[in-house]
Amino acid sequence: MTDLAVETDGLCRSFGELEAVRSANLRVEAGQFFGFLGPNGAGKSTTIKMLTGLLEPTAGRIRILGLDLVSNPVDVKSQIGVVPEGLALFDRLTGPEYLIFAGRMYGLDRVTAAERAQELLDFMGLADRAKSLIVDYSHGMKKKLAMAAAVIHGPKVLFLDEPFEGVDAIAAGTLKAMLNRMIARGATIFLTSHVLEIVERLCSHVAIIDRGELVAQGSIDELRSGVSARHADGQKLSLEQIFLEIVGGERAAVPELSWLE
Amino acid sequence: MAGMTLVPGKQEQLRLVGWLRWRLLVNGLRTGRGKADLVAKIIAGVIIGTGALGLGPLLGFGSWYAISSGKRFILPGELWFVFLIWLLVPILISGFGAESDPASLLRFPLRYSTFVLLAFAHGILDPVAVAALYWLLAMLAGIAVASPSALLWAIPVLAAFALLNLLLNRTIFAWLSRWLAQRRTREIMGALLILLMFSFQLVWPLSARYGKRALPLATRLASASRLLPPGMAASAITAGHASRAGSALADFAGLLACSGVLGWLLSIRLRAEYRGENLSEARQETSAGRSTVRAGWNVAGLSPTVAALFEKDLRYLIRNSTAYLTLLTPVFVVIVLSLGHGGPHGRQLSFIRSSSVFFPLSVGYVMLTVVGLVYNSLGYDGSGLPMLLAAPIRFRDVLVAKNLLHTLVVVAEVLTVSVVGWFVVGPTPPLVLGLTLAGTLFVLLTNLAAGNLVSLYFPRKLNFGQMRRQQASGMAVAASLGTQVLLAALVTGMYLLSRWTGHLAWCGVAFLVLAGAAWVAYRHMLGLASNIALKRREVLMAELSRPG
Repeated sequence: MTDLAVETDGLCRSFGELEAVRSANLRVEAGQFFGFLGPNGAGKSTTIKMLTGLLEPTAGRIRILGLDLVSNPVDVKSQIGVVPEGLALFDRLTGPEYLIFAGRMYGLDRVTAAERAQELLDFMGLADRAKSLIVDYSHGMKKKLAMAAAVIHGPKVLFLDEPFEGVDAIAAGTLKAMLNRMIARGATIFLTSHVLEIVERLCSHVAIIDRGELVAQGSIDELRSGVSARHADGQKLSLEQIFLEIVGGERAAVPELSWLE
Repeated sequence: MAGMTLVPGKQEQLRLVGWLRWRLLVNGLRTGRGKADLVAKIIAGVIIGTGALGLGPLLGFGSWYAISSGKRFILPGELWFVFLIWLLVPILISGFGAESDPASLLRFPLRYSTFVLLAFAHGILDPVAVAALYWLLAMLAGIAVASPSALLWAIPVLAAFALLNLLLNRTIFAWLSRWLAQRRTREIMGALLILLMFSFQLVWPLSARYGKRALPLATRLASASRLLPPGMAASAITAGHASRAGSALADFAGLLACSGVLGWLLSIRLRAEYRGENLSEARQETSAGRSTVRAGWNVAGLSPTVAALFEKDLRYLIRNSTAYLTLLTPVFVVIVLSLGHGGPHGRQLSFIRSSSVFFPLSVGYVMLTVVGLVYNSLGYDGSGLPMLLAAPIRFRDVLVAKNLLHTLVVVAEVLTVSVVGWFVVGPTPPLVLGLTLAGTLFVLLTNLAAGNLVSLYFPRKLNFGQMRRQQASGMAVAASLGTQVLLAALVTGMYLLSRWTGHLAWCGVAFLVLAGAAWVAYRHMLGLASNIALKRREVLMAELSRPG
């Protein structure tokens, strides 16, 4: 039996009458680079918040690395890293101060935290801005710092909500290099992204959520063969085509705009 | 492709902006908060508006009397009043936060003339400007009744004076917006505002103490003020009325020249805004410099987690210019109290300078001011809060670190006022010292226990370097106020009772017993904190981590 890094059973979350996530059964194996896709408002961020303990599920069970999240929140949190939607930075600290703080929150001693902070700042190209407050960083720099804080304790599972959004090509390259290193040393990465080309290049497995419902899950090849079987024209479909097919081709069809014709 | 659209005319653009503001107002009423805000504004508007309306006849009468009787000091006094209100009140109301910004509309094909008109519309539609214009009209009416011929000069002079005030208001806001656009200048401005507010507090005690000696200087300043806009406007009217056309013309020209300078300064800003300028925060530090990362603090007696949280909170406090106001106010007020014995209430207030009253009173004031921080202790964590909730820590540690910092602040403030007290009234009697410290311990622990609960249940986001809307939630304020009233009544009652019975020492014992009970309650609260935070994490994140 393969070890599961992330496992949910009947995961639900409602906001009043809105069912943001409906009975999701996710399976992410340890060591996978897992992409979690969906249109805007489909429930991606809600799911990732529930998986990281930032949001209470209305119903269902979450197990991370075999541990129940509700009954062992601290044990689970110590083994995961998170880059949430708003980055969750203390922006009146400097980059090094924040990284050391994050390291110590995850149980590193102060010296180790400082050593790793220095390494991460060098790796992310942020060392030259060590004296600046985070509030003065650019968006890309903040993203890199949030990523550095999420990995400083060497998590076994890393949850990233839109890690490449608003990041330039150079910064994105740095982030991808770091994620690939983590995968190489056996970590599991769970990311949401709208940039399907990046997901296709990085991830081995994906799940697609649409209007709160998990509509597909598996390796990209599995999803491709499932969709190709419906078309049977022999063409190798891109992840974007698979995604559009699964979330509803009729919604993907672009209507005409009279004044642009 | 279909044909290009034409850029709408100036009137159409102004109409569209008006519609936009209206929709923003109406849509803002969809939330309870928006409705409450509007109701509060209406109530405040009615109260302040009534006051402003009442002042009109008074100023009109003053002008009438000034022209009829020839009293030369009345008109300048009235014009200085209008000038200062128009100048200072909008700035103080805005609390050094940026006002609604026409520059946000520049992504649209907005004409420069429309942009300028919008900037002026913001100024002229300001309630303070409306009130000031009404006062000027009332003054004009007073002058007309006293001497219709004086209107020949009064109308153009007061019109020029109004224009100057409008330009000054717009110029100040345009430059303020420029400075407020960047964090560092914004925080410097905040600190300057705090200094200004402190300076106002000093005026009365200093004038009471040094008033007679400063009289010659004040007289010289008063005559020099004639060269400033209100003085020039008043001189132009009185000189014109006295048929000294040359003198009136010179003052009038001075007013116009000042307006010209202000218009030029304003146009520099407006043109820069219209052309587009990058005021992003990231731009300012190009040589921030590389440095070696130093390990975090190791605070004896604290767990590594609490030590790290304490370090973070202390750094946040040090970097928060707004918090300085809260921290400096008690010390400052104690100093003011120590100076204030020469004023009109000197005799009544002389008991404050008794060595057995000064210290307890000062410490009481310190507690009243500082404990406000405890009731919204997560307010400044803002966007970082999810990190604390995602980290493998108990939330009680977050509160323990904050409470340690609050305690440190109280200790530092009590020490400071005790040193001030030592110099001003001499050493505090040991029994009073002991009673005060025992009472303080009880009050502090009770406030920490209550404040932690309120911080978790009624949090409100606070922004750095901003004075506007920097209050805890209404419930937090009410809870804080209620607790302070109860504690003050209890502590004072016990003190007076023990004094009446002649057993003051027993009061100290009772305070210590109460402090023990408060400690038990505090520990119990901490035991609950992690679960409460877990249950309320969504509310905490929604309130504290929201952008803006």
